[in-house]
Amino acid sequence: MSETTRSLAPPGIEAVWFHAEAGLARAAAENIVARASRRLAVPCHLHPRPWENAPVRLDGREQVDADRLLADLEVSAGPGSVHIGLTTLDLGLALFTFVFGRATRNGRAAVVSFARLGPEQYGLAADPNLTARRAVAEIMHELGHVAGLGHCSDVGCIMQFAASVERIDLRGLEFCPSCAAALPRHLLTAAHVTPPA
Amino acid sequence: MNNTLPRSSSLSILVVDDEPIVVQSLGDWFRQDGHRVDTAQNSTEALRLVAEKDYDLAFLDIKMPGVDGLELQARLAAVKPDMTVIIMTAYASVETAVKALKAGAYDYIAKPFDPEELSVLVRRASEHRSLRSENLRLKERLEAASAPSPIIGVSSAMRRVQDLIAAVAGTDATALIRGESGTGKELAARAIHVGSPRRYGPFVIVNCGALAEGLLESELFGHEKGAFTGAIYRHRGKFELSDGGTLFLDEIGTISPKVQVELLRVIEDKSVTRVGGRNPVPVDFRLIAATNEDLEAKIQRGEFRDDLYWRLNVFAIDMPPLRVRPEDIAPMAESFLERFTRSMNRKPMRFSEEGLAALQAYSWPGNVRELQNAIERAVVAGTPPIIEAKDFPMRVTSAPIALSSGQSLAEAERAHIISVLEAQDWNISSAARMLEIDRGTLYHKIEKFGLDKARAVG
Repeated sequence: MSETTRSLAPPGIEAVWFHAEAGLARAAAENIVARASRRLAVPCHLHPRPWENAPVRLDGREQVDADRLLADLEVSAGPGSVHIGLTTLDLGLALFTFVFGRATRNGRAAVVSFARLGPEQYGLAADPNLTARRAVAEIMHELGHVAGLGHCSDVGCIMQFAASVERIDLRGLEFCPSCAAALPRHLLTAAHVTPPA
Repeated sequence: MNNTLPRSSSLSILVVDDEPIVVQSLGDWFRQDGHRVDTAQNSTEALRLVAEKDYDLAFLDIKMPGVDGLELQARLAAVKPDMTVIIMTAYASVETAVKALKAGAYDYIAKPFDPEELSVLVRRASEHRSLRSENLRLKERLEAASAPSPIIGVSSAMRRVQDLIAAVAGTDATALIRGESGTGKELAARAIHVGSPRRYGPFVIVNCGALAEGLLESELFGHEKGAFTGAIYRHRGKFELSDGGTLFLDEIGTISPKVQVELLRVIEDKSVTRVGGRNPVPVDFRLIAATNEDLEAKIQRGEFRDDLYWRLNVFAIDMPPLRVRPEDIAPMAESFLERFTRSMNRKPMRFSEEGLAALQAYSWPGNVRELQNAIERAVVAGTPPIIEAKDFPMRVTSAPIALSSGQSLAEAERAHIISVLEAQDWNISSAARMLEIDRGTLYHKIEKFGLDKARAVG
């Protein structure tokens, strides 16, 4: 593992910063970052802080404009790092009722919402473990976009599009071999996907 | 690359909306899924794109300045009927949805889109498209497989028949096919069916001569449970079975006056009442009748209703006997030879010059069916690669009946009866018809001349 990690030195990206907003419990945020760091070959830092600009609700709707949050994160992310916002706000887009997350393709930022991830949102018993697992899945999916990947039609690939938590659970946490091959090595660890020689 | 899991194919999608954010956002969304996307912000631009390129799917905003989505959809349907159109509306209302679907849209979706709904919609539209194209491919293959043997013939008589078939096939007119036994009346009926818009419907054959009156009635019109002794179940008649297709009534001249009346009623009402039933069942059929009898003579004798005759004889096709078109013998024989060698897995064969000459010299009283039987027999009997004259049935190669000075009338009669019996495969009824004597007389003559099938065919 350590040897592979060394070989996966991130070209240009030295760290992933997680900006957890105040609404997210510290313990939950730490759990997420710990899980994510086990899957990424770069240092992950948790950095709780308020949003640069107050989140803006979409016209006449409950959802917050994910693209605005993303734009702010993109500005704050300096060279050599990827910034991921973690929020409990329900995210949406002008044209879409909601999104679990949003990322700048080939960019430096992503945002992931917890608002719809917990089983308690669907009338089931709360399960922090499952919520964390789904959050990590969304983080990895959005990181895939940051690294330039599009959606994948492989049903077992984390890059498959998911519009429901059931889909998130079904597609698992792994990149399919073809997505893995297209992915910069620093976004993978050997524990999960063997990068092509 | 993992090939074991299904990957949906990428689609070519056109997004048309006057709001830049919609075309941008939806375009990015679809590109993310690996689809090829073009966008247009008005109908004029959309029509220009469609003229240049084929799209699988088009998302049209219902409300646009100038030509709106519904009107654009109508124009697209005219130029690209295969394109699947999905209408986007700002407010989902029953009224707009109904309008869009009525105008031929595949579906509609309300803004803002539910991501799950949109992805299901695209997946369904894509499956729908592939099913439709698969269906088209299968229909083409089915058409090729079910196409009847072509009606072969280079003679002007057969070319006229082919023209008549082509002319009547496209219409829904009742056709009456007349001709001697074995001239290919059923083949002509099939050709009409296959050339008609009903070709995907059933082609139902009833040989009226083969069934007794009571049976024919229930066969044609069906019967209700308990209509008569033995009617344990409700039975749908051939008319009902041919719904959406073609009903072919062979040997129509043999039906009884009672069935003639009922048949006339069905043709006029386009509905049948099952035997023992009360309620007429509407049926959509095209009728083709065939006969080897002179129906007009039967009308004279009061054996066939003239009102029914005129109902049947909307469009008449006369199948010429083979003896009046000897130029068709060689091409037909070649075609049968090819078909039988293939179906019997024999090596390719061809006719010797003498063989072909014998076929052309014979009078073929049993017409095409007799020719077909003779070739089938020769393919079995012959040794590849050549079929000789000796491989044909004896009657084909023996000298034509000639009343030589040394031959008595009885000898000539005997030879002629043998030849007709063989041509009709020893079917007494058809041989009697051909000889224009009744069956009793024919049996009597067979006995008198000491004829029997085994020895004659030898």
